[in-house]
Formats: sequence, structure tokens, C-alpha cells
Amino acid sequence: MKIDNTKAQMRKGILEYCILGILDSSDAYASDIIDQLKEAKLIVVEGTLYPLLTRLKNAGLLEYRWEESSSGPPRKYYSLSDSGRAFQKELKMTWEELQSAVTILTTRPNQS
Amino acid sequence: MNKTININLAGIIFHLDEGAYESFRDYLNQVKNALESQEGGAEIIADIEARIAELFSMRMQEFKREAVTIEDVNFIQATLGAPQDFEDDSDEAPHTSAGIPAGKKRLFRNTDESIIGGVASGIAAYFGTDVVWIRIIFLVLLFFTGIGFITYLILWMAIPEAKTTAQKLQMRGEPVNLSNIERSVKEELDGVKERFGRFREENQGTGQSLRKTINRGLNIIINILEWLFRLVFKFFGLLFILVCLVIGFTLFVALFGVIASTWNFGGIDFISIDGNILGLNAAEAILGSGIELTLMRIGTLLTLLFPILGLTTLLAKAFKRPLANGRLVNIVGGTSFFIGLALLLYAGGNVLSSFKVSTTEMRTVELQGNTFDMRAELLEESDGFLFEIDDDNLRIENVKLDIKKSFDPSASLAMKHRARGSSNSDARKRAMQFDYPFEQVGPVMSLSEYFTVPEEALYRGQELQVTLYLPIGSEVYLDPSVENLLYGIENAHNMWDGEMIGHTWKMERRGLVCMDCEEIDYFESEAVEAQIEALELEIKKLKEN
Repeated sequence: MKIDNTKAQMRKGILEYCILGILDSSDAYASDIIDQLKEAKLIVVEGTLYPLLTRLKNAGLLEYRWEESSSGPPRKYYSLSDSGRAFQKELKMTWEELQSAVTILTTRPNQS
Repeated sequence: MNKTININLAGIIFHLDEGAYESFRDYLNQVKNALESQEGGAEIIADIEARIAELFSMRMQEFKREAVTIEDVNFIQATLGAPQDFEDDSDEAPHTSAGIPAGKKRLFRNTDESIIGGVASGIAAYFGTDVVWIRIIFLVLLFFTGIGFITYLILWMAIPEAKTTAQKLQMRGEPVNLSNIERSVKEELDGVKERFGRFREENQGTGQSLRKTINRGLNIIINILEWLFRLVFKFFGLLFILVCLVIGFTLFVALFGVIASTWNFGGIDFISIDGNILGLNAAEAILGSGIELTLMRIGTLLTLLFPILGLTTLLAKAFKRPLANGRLVNIVGGTSFFIGLALLLYAGGNVLSSFKVSTTEMRTVELQGNTFDMRAELLEESDGFLFEIDDDNLRIENVKLDIKKSFDPSASLAMKHRARGSSNSDARKRAMQFDYPFEQVGPVMSLSEYFTVPEEALYRGQELQVTLYLPIGSEVYLDPSVENLLYGIENAHNMWDGEMIGHTWKMERRGLVCMDCEEIDYFESEAVEAQIEALELEIKKLKEN
């Protein structure tokens, strides 16, 4: 079992939640989302994101609109749909549960 | 100076340097290959192209450039990631490989490892065997049936060439997935890069533009020449196989007819019908079983060794399995060729010298009666070949029959034995060894079509001339069986030998006259001439008496 593979799996699992989280606060186009994710060191390359965005959009969680750009072709501005918002809320709950679970589990050995 | 190529990305035109274009095209193709099979792949690709267009535009503005360089392409790759990063494997049903599943092989021509059209190597790739075996099968088919040639041509036309990387992978049955394509492309690119690097190295430091131009010109010429050589080589490859076919067949025949075919005396027939292959009889008849035969055999084999070795070397080269030492082959083959030639010349000279002297020996037998029926049925029928070895005897079918006017009151049969030898006594001894049986029962004269000599006498130009001397007034019937024996018999009608058989002839003063021919080509003047000649002879004889 490779550590890199496990790391990548962990990251990918929470990537969808993070994208929905970013869009929950404000609409954004792909580059914005990428920049934020990069800043947080959650992704390294942009390639990973495009299939994911399309898949979320096709699942009805995201919507987009076209907007002109000063430096290139028109951009897709993504926003959460109603079901996306509901989905995000549920994920948030799950994430918080998981977080506490992980914290409890990983800190307990120190106590004992 | 760099050539640029224009591309359209998401509706925006970009100028790409040639090197940048190639690198970018390969990258984008790999990405497309990775995404095409995914759901919504086309949309993702469009998004990515738009993103690349955005990044290119940003960089052009930032660096105030017009053309996209290799650095920009490298930047794109670093930003967007390697092609496999695009695979969305968080899917419920993850893809193990994109595109055509593993194991589904397709038949292609492998022109990367071809001698002619890459048919053999394509088949080898399909069956996963070494190409050498396929080539051997083709050659065997070629040599023994010729089907190989036609099959090859048909396959050449029918099987498509493996052009793209995906096709090359399919040809080997490797799954056409991203990593395989990448590996394959990388291998190809590495080769190109290496060549390119070498080219650049060679061109560095020349400095002067004139020399650069010359270098470039030379390079183009070299490229053209290389291409031409390839073309010519392929053409000769095909020609070579055809030549192999011919040479192979010739060698096959030659090895059997080895000795006799090099010594064709006076139109000897080499191909016998009933099992005696290609004149071995003739060889034995002329050479005997002595030292000459052995020398001749060894000589011929040694002479043939060179072309055989040469052919083997060429074949080995064709299979890209060069033999260990080409020079050794040349030395051994060449030496054996000359030794063989010397042996052939020596033995040939020996044999020829035993044909030097010619002598004749006469034998005359008086015959009873004055009516004859000439037949040639005494001995079993011969097969029409000059030589035949029968027990310890050598049959020679070289008998000629003539009919002449006799000045004696009785008929006679004269036999003239002719033979050659190294000396007069040698030839005479041989001339006395003829055995030619004949029989007279009433009017029937039975002759045979051949005579025999002891086997050790060998063939030294032996020939038998049989002459039937007929007194005037006597008659002779020529049975069809003597047709092969007749040789230029003069007659009053000037008829050909073949026309004379089956008729009864009467000896008159003017020569032989047909008694039962229906239509005679009768030439008055010639008949008169013959009459005068006959009279003159008679006068001469009377005078002598």
C-alpha cells in the first residue's frame, strides 16, 4: 500500500465537499475555485478539477452561467443549485461528525 | 527563426512555435484520450481548452509575446497536470483503462520493423511470436509452391498499416489506455529528441549563416537520399525474394544434375523418363566410376559451395540475424570455388584428351537370297536415349543404316565400327569391342537399334554404320521399325528417309526404286543423272577387270 495513493484518496473524498463549500459562500468561476484549492494545498494540478466540476454539474448540484472575460474566452461562473445547497448541508453535517470521530479516535491513545 | 503553426483554442487564434505545437498536440491528444470515454467528456475537454486559451492569453500579455513557445506549453502541463490526473476515478464504477479493452488484438502491418511491407512482423505481433518464424514460413511457401508470394501481396494490400500509437498498441494486444499510449509515445518522442539533439549539436558552433545554410541544404539532400535508399531497398527486397525463388529452384535442379549438366556432349538427353534422373547415366557412361567422376563430383560441389554460402549470408542478413563472420564465408567460399573450378578443369581435360584419336574397324557378312525384309526388332526396344547402362554393359544407341548398290553378285552387310581414344591403339581396342547382334531368317533381316560395349570401355564417340549392299535386281522391304536407323539413303526418287519406310524397294542401275509407292516425286533429270553415274561406275569396274 502506497502512502501517496492513500493521501490522494483522502483528498479526493473531501474535494467535492470543499468545492461545494467554496461555492456556498460566493459564486466563482473555475480559476477562482482552483486558486483557492491550490492555496489551501488541497490540489496540485488543475486537471483534477474539471472532470469533477462537470460531474457535479451533471448531477444537478451545480449551475453555471457564461460571463465575458478580459483576458481570454468567456468563463463559466458556477453557483450552487437548490439541491446542491441541500447536498452541501448534509455533507457539512457528515464532515463534522467525521471530524469529531477522527479527533476522538486519533487522540485517545495519548490519554491512555 | 522559427516556423509557427496557428491553432484555434476555444475560438481564439494562437501562434505556436513548431516544437511547441508538437509537444502541445501530443499533450492535448493524451488528455483527450483520457477524457473521451468519460461521461460528459466532450464538455470537460471544451472547459480545459478554454482554460488553456485563458492561460496562453495571460502569458502572451504578461511576457508581451505573439507566439507560444515550448516554455508556455510546459507551463500548461505543470498547471493542468499529467494526462492521468484528468481521470476521474472517484466514479462509482471506476475505469481500469480507457478505450479499447485489453486482449482485443487487431491485425496491422508493422512498418516499424519491416523488410518489405511489414506483413510478417504484423502477423508475428498478432500471434505474439518471433517474426523470424513467420518469415521462414513465408519463404518456405515461396520456394516450394510460390503461394507465399501471392499471399504476401494480398496481405500487403489487405492489412492496414499501424499508423497511430493506439493502432500500434492494438497490434500487440496491449490495452489502449493512457499509460500505455504515453509510454509508447514517449519512446517515439525520445527517438525524435535524440536525433534532433544530435542534429543541433552538429550544427552548433558553425556560426556563419552561410555554413548553416549549406548544412541545412546537405541535410535535406541526405534526407532525400535516405528516403530514396529506403525505397530502393524495399524494391530490392522484393526483387531479392524473386531472385531467391529462381536461384533456389536452379540450385535444386543443378544439385541433381550436377555432373552431367556441366558436360553436354553432342546433345545428350539429361532427363530420363523412367527414374534415371538428369543424365546420371551419361555421367557414368562418359566418366566411368573412376577418379574423373569423383573429381568432377567434388569439383562441382566445391564450386557450388560459394553461391550457396553467399545466399545463406544474404538470407541471414534479410532476417537481421547476420552470420558470425562474413569474411570467413567469403574466404572459404572463394577458395572452394577456385579449387572446385581447378578440379573440374583437370578432370574435364583428362576426359577430353581421351577423345583425341578416332579409328574405324570393318566387318562384313555375306547374306543369303536376294529379297530382304529389314526390321529392327531383335532386341528389346530402347527408350530413345543415347546411353543406357545394362548390367555390365553400356548400351549406345548410335546406329545408322544405309543401303548401297553391290557390285558383287550376292548381298552383304557391312558394319563399320567407329571409336575414339587417347591413342591409336586405345581407339582400335575400343572399336573391336562392339557387340551388335543381327539375325537372318529367310528374307527377314533382324537388326537392333543399339549396340553394346563393355561398361569399362566408356563412351568415346562410338558409332556404328551398317550398310546393306544389294546387287542389282534384289529387293528390300523397309519395316517401320527401322525408321530410327535410316540415315540419308539415296534413292532414285530423292525421297526422305522417313518416306521410305513401309515400302518395298528394288535395286536398279539408277539406284533404289520404289515398287509400291502410289505417288512418286519423280525428278527426270535427277533420275537420268543417277543412271549415268551408275553406268560410269560399271564401265570403270569393267575396265579394272
